[in-house]
Amino acid sequence: MYTNAQYIAFNGVNTGIRCDINGVTSFVPIDPANTDYAAIMRLVEAGELTIAPASP
Amino acid sequence: MSGTLKVTTLQDGGSSTANLVFDTNANTTAGGTVAMSSSFKRNRIINGNMVIDQRNAGASVATSSGTFIYTVDRWQAIYAATSKYTIQQNAGSVTLPAGFTKYLGVTSTSAYTPSSTEYFAVRQFIEGYNTADLAWGAASAKAVTLSFLVYSSLTGSFGGALVNSAQTRSYPFTYSVPVANTWTTISITVPGDTTGVWATDNATGIDLRLGLGCGSTYNGTAGAWAAGNYVSVTGAVSVVGTSGATFYITGVQLEVGTKATPYEMQIYSDQLAQCQRYFSKSYNIDVVPGTATYVGALATFSPTASTNRPVVPIFFPVSMRTTPTLTAYSPNNGASGNFYNNDAAANFAVQVSVNTGSSGASWLPSGTLTTNAFFTGHWTATAEL
Repeated sequence: MYTNAQYIAFNGVNTGIRCDINGVTSFVPIDPANTDYAAIMRLVEAGELTIAPASP
Repeated sequence: MSGTLKVTTLQDGGSSTANLVFDTNANTTAGGTVAMSSSFKRNRIINGNMVIDQRNAGASVATSSGTFIYTVDRWQAIYAATSKYTIQQNAGSVTLPAGFTKYLGVTSTSAYTPSSTEYFAVRQFIEGYNTADLAWGAASAKAVTLSFLVYSSLTGSFGGALVNSAQTRSYPFTYSVPVANTWTTISITVPGDTTGVWATDNATGIDLRLGLGCGSTYNGTAGAWAAGNYVSVTGAVSVVGTSGATFYITGVQLEVGTKATPYEMQIYSDQLAQCQRYFSKSYNIDVVPGTATYVGALATFSPTASTNRPVVPIFFPVSMRTTPTLTAYSPNNGASGNFYNNDAAANFAVQVSVNTGSSGASWLPSGTLTTNAFFTGHWTATAEL
C-alpha cells in the first residue's frame, strides 16, 4: 500500500519518490524496472495516487 | 530388456581408459568429462530450503495490510483479503526430513471462502536471466521439473501454476498430499511453453505460484498451457478454507529436464549472496530491520553545517537486480525515514541522492546538521521482482 507520495529533488533534479510503503517511509527510484515505481505509476494512472511535487 | 546389468566398468571400444567404473558402494567414477544436457547449477529457485530470512529473522509475518508481503527471502505471500493466514519460517516447529533445517509454514487463521476474483498463494519470481536457457516461447522450449517437500494438516489435491511476466501464459498443475502431517515429496514435470512471451533479462522469467485458496477466475485446468492468468486448479484444496490448517514447504527446486534430482544444497554464503541481489540491509543477518540497534549502522560526522550535507555513500553487498527502493532507519528507535544525530540525541530526516544505482547509493540529510555532528543510520535496499 503506497501513501504520502512526494517527489524528492537534489540540486533541482528529481531523484526519486518518497512514500510510505505499508507505513514504512521509503525512497523509490525513478526506474521502470523497480517494482515499487511500476506499482506507483499504475496507481497514478488509475487516479488512485497523487505524487506531490518536490519541496522547493 | 529390463532387469539389472551387473558390470564393474563400461569402456568405449576405441579407448584405453574406462569411461565409467562402478564399485560395491554404489560409487561411479568417470574416466573423462561428464557432459550433461543442462548446467550443473540446476536449481532456478533461490532459497528453496527457506534458510535465509533477512526481513523477519524467523518471526511470524502478519498479512494484516496490503495485498502481499515478503516472508523468507525471495518468497512472497499473497492475500486478497487481510489476516486470513500467517506465514513464518519453521512455523509449528515440526521435524524436518534429514538434510533440511528450515521450511516455510502457512497457518490459516480463519475458515475463509475466496470470492471468484480472490486468491491466496505463496510465490517466487524467477529472474529472466536465470530462465533464458529454457527457450520458452520458442519451438525448442525445454521441459522443467518442479520438486519440493510438503507437509500439511489437509489431504487431497493441491494446486499451483507457472506463469509468465505478462500473466498471459499459465501452466496450472496439481499435486497430491495423501497423508496429513507427513512430509511428502512432490515432483511435477512441465513441458516447455512454445508460445507466449517469456522475459530473458532482469524482469520476471517465471512466476511460480503455490495456491492456498483461489476463486474460480484464477483456477485453470491442470496439465496444459493456457492463455490466461492462473494460480491453481479447479477443485484444489483451499488452505485458507479451514481454520487452523497448516501448509509447510521446503526443498523447492525447479530444474531443466523431466527428472527431479536431489535438492541442490548451496554454500550458505552463496545462497545469501543470491538473496542479496533482491534484498540487502545494514543490519546483522539475524536482526529485523527497524530494530533499535547500532550494530552494523553507518557512523560518520557532518564536517560542515550546510543543507543536504554530508553525502554518505553506501555500497550493496552484491549488485542488485535493478535500482532498489531504499529505506532508512534510526538506530536509536527504528523510525523509518530517519537517521539518528547522536550528539543532539534526536532523529533527523534523510533522503537519497541522485546517484542511486544497482551497486550503491548515497544518503544525505533532508535539512542541515551542525558542524561535527556525529550521526548513525541503518538502511535496507529492495529490488524484488
